[in-house]
Amino acid sequence: MDDIERRSFVKGALGALAFTVGGAQVMLTPRDAHAQGVPFRTLTPDQVETLEAVGEAIVPTARTAGIANFVDQQLSIPADEALLEARILNVRPPFANFYRAALGAIDRASQTRNGGRKVAQLNDAEKHAFIDAMRQNRLDGWQGPGQGFVYTLLRNDALDVVYGTMEAYAALGVPYMAHIAPTKKW
Amino acid sequence: MATHEKVDVVIVGAGASGSVYAATLSKAGKKVLLLEQGPDWQLTDLISSDVWGRRIRPAGAPFLLEGKNPYGYAGQAGWGVGGAALHYFANFPRLLENDFKMKTEHGRGLDWPISYTDVAPYYDKVAQEIGVSGDAKAEEIWRPAGQAYPMPPMKTFRNGEIWLKGFKDVGIRMVPAAVGMNSVAFKGRAACIYDGWCHVGCPIGALANPVVTYLADARKAGAEVRPHSTVTRVLTNAAGSKVTGVEYYDEKKEKQVQEANVVILAAWSGQNPRLLLNSATDKHPKGLANASGLVGKYTMAHSGSGTWAIFDEDVENHMGTIGAQFMSYERYGKTAHKDAFGSTFIVGGNALKLSDLAGIANARPDIFGAALPEFIKRVRRGLTRINAFAEGLPNIENRVELASEKDEFGMPLGRIVHSFDQDAAKIWDANFEEGLKIAKAAGAKESWSARGAMATIHLMGGTIMGTGAGNSVTNSYGQTHELPNLYIAGPSIFASAGASNPTYTIFALSQRGSEQLAANWSAVTG
Repeated sequence: MDDIERRSFVKGALGALAFTVGGAQVMLTPRDAHAQGVPFRTLTPDQVETLEAVGEAIVPTARTAGIANFVDQQLSIPADEALLEARILNVRPPFANFYRAALGAIDRASQTRNGGRKVAQLNDAEKHAFIDAMRQNRLDGWQGPGQGFVYTLLRNDALDVVYGTMEAYAALGVPYMAHIAPTKKW
Repeated sequence: MATHEKVDVVIVGAGASGSVYAATLSKAGKKVLLLEQGPDWQLTDLISSDVWGRRIRPAGAPFLLEGKNPYGYAGQAGWGVGGAALHYFANFPRLLENDFKMKTEHGRGLDWPISYTDVAPYYDKVAQEIGVSGDAKAEEIWRPAGQAYPMPPMKTFRNGEIWLKGFKDVGIRMVPAAVGMNSVAFKGRAACIYDGWCHVGCPIGALANPVVTYLADARKAGAEVRPHSTVTRVLTNAAGSKVTGVEYYDEKKEKQVQEANVVILAAWSGQNPRLLLNSATDKHPKGLANASGLVGKYTMAHSGSGTWAIFDEDVENHMGTIGAQFMSYERYGKTAHKDAFGSTFIVGGNALKLSDLAGIANARPDIFGAALPEFIKRVRRGLTRINAFAEGLPNIENRVELASEKDEFGMPLGRIVHSFDQDAAKIWDANFEEGLKIAKAAGAKESWSARGAMATIHLMGGTIMGTGAGNSVTNSYGQTHELPNLYIAGPSIFASAGASNPTYTIFALSQRGSEQLAANWSAVTG
C-alpha cells in the first residue's frame, strides 16, 4: 500500500462533538455549534461572554471558532472522556470548577482595574493590557487559580479551536497528514 | 463482593512494564490476568489530533502535587492499555555505566545493586523483540559494545540535520537516535511514515507501543486483560508472609477480589507506592514491603532545557517523528557541567504540530493577540528545536505519600512532593546556555530558550531497588524484600534517574525480572 493511501485525508475539523439542539443530540464542530447558536449546558451567559472575550483577545477568531461551545460541551461530559487541555495540565476534575473560578476571577479583576467594567466591555487596547498583566501575574487583588496558569490554559483552549483543526493546517499550508482523521465521536 | 477464579499472576497495570511481565509469564504457561484502570484501547482509537490524543492521558483519581517543582504527570502518564507507552516519544537511550555506581564513584545519590553489564543483555533482547532503529556501533563511543539494532536508523530531515554543524562546533558528537520505531517493516508491523503523530498514538504499529508488541504477545499466549478495573489494595495471608491477590473495583464500581499466586504492581511510580501504603495490615502497619520506611521515597524526575531556533529556510518541520533524529551522551558524565552534578542527554530533530504544549504556537507562549497569527505564519517553515534532558538526583524528601482526602472508592489520594535541588537547577541553566551556543553556531536567524517553570519529566523511584530491606523496597529483579511473591515493575524501582528517557530501561528491567520470576516460580510461590 502506498504511504499516502495509508493516510486518511478526510475533510474535518476538530472533530464533531455531541451537542444538544432542541432536545436532540447532533454532531457538530464547535465552529458550527457557535454559528447555530447551540444552547450552553454548563457555562452561564456571563461566563460565556467572558470566555469568548478573553479567548478572542488571546487568539484572534477563537470566538467564531467556537471556544465557548467547545469548553461548555466538554464540561458536560465525564472528566475521563474530556479533550480539554486542562486534562494534561494537571487541573483537578471536575473541570467546571476551574473554569468557574478562573472566569470569575477574570471579571472581578477587570472590574477592579477598569472602573467596574468586565473584560468583555473593554476596548481592544484595554483587553490587551489586561491580558498582558494576567500573563505575568501582575493583576492586583486577583482571587482565583494562578493568573499565569489561567492565561496558559485559556490560550491553549483557544489554540485548540483555531489551530488544532485540519482547516487551520490547510490555511497555513502545513500538511496535516492524519493516519486517522479527527471525525469520530468520542 | 465477588471472588474470581484464582490465577497464577495478577498484574496491576497494562502499560510498558506490566505488558512485558504478561508476555514472559503467559508464554511460560502461567495463567495471567492484567487489571487495567483505563480502557482497552484499539489502534483504531488513536486519532491523529492533539485534541483527541488527550483521551489517552491520565484520568481517574488525581494526584495532589506539591513541592518547589510539582511533578506535572498528566501530560506524560497513561490511561488504559499501553499506559504512557501508548503515546511515548520512543526515544531509546540506555542508562550508562556511570548511572549504576554514582554513590561509589562520586559519593552522591544512590548505587544500584546491579551494574550496566547486568542490564545490557536485556537492552539487546528488547531491541530484537520489539524493534529498535538506530546505529549501535555509533553509540559505542560512550558505552560498551553490544548487539547491533535490528533496524537501520530512521530517516532524518532538515529540521534535525540543520543543527549538526552547531553541535559539532561546540564539541558535541551526535549519532543517529535509537528509537523504538520501525525504520523498515518489522515483524509484520509497518514502517514509519514520518507524519509526527507518535505522541497521540500510532495506529499503524510503527511505534513499538505495548499494544502491538508485548501485550499482543501476551494475549496470544492466553493472558486476559480486564479493563476499567481499579485496584485499591494488595491482600496478604494472615501471617503477613505472602500476598494472596488484590482487591479492585470493576467497571460497574463494584468491589471484587482476585486471588493469585503472584502479584505484580506495574502501575507507575505514583500509583505503586500509593497501593503499597494503602495495603497496610496489622503485620505490615506502615504498608506492604515498607519495613525500611522507604516506600514512596526517593522519587525522581528529569528536567528539560529546550532551545528554539528559526532558520532562514524551510526545515520541513512537519516531517519526522516526535522522538529524536539525533542523540548524544557527550554531556552524560556526572561532572560534565562545571559547578553542577548530574548527567545530561541531548536530542535533536523532531516534527512539530501547530498547537498543543510542544507545538509551534507554544514556542513563544508570551505572544498573544494580533501578534500570534503573525508569529505562526512567520515561523511555520523555519522553526525547529533541540532538547537537553538532565538528571534529578535521588532525594529522600521527594516522595509519594497518602493524603487524607479519598477517591470515589475510599482510597486515600496520593500526594507527590517534588523539588529539584541546586545541582539540577544548575544543569538546567547550563543546558539552556549551551543550547543557545549551539543554535548560534548552527546559523540560526533567531534563537531562544524555552524557559518557564522548571519542567519535570518522567517520574521514577518511589519503590527503589537495593541490596536489602534496610536500604530499599525491592531487589534488582523488582521482587520485594519482605514478600517474595510480590513484585514491582516499572520506573519506580530505579535507584537513580540518569538522564536517559526511561522506557527502554523499563522494558529491559521488566524482561530481566520476569525471566527471573519464571525461572524461580516454585521458590517464589512455594
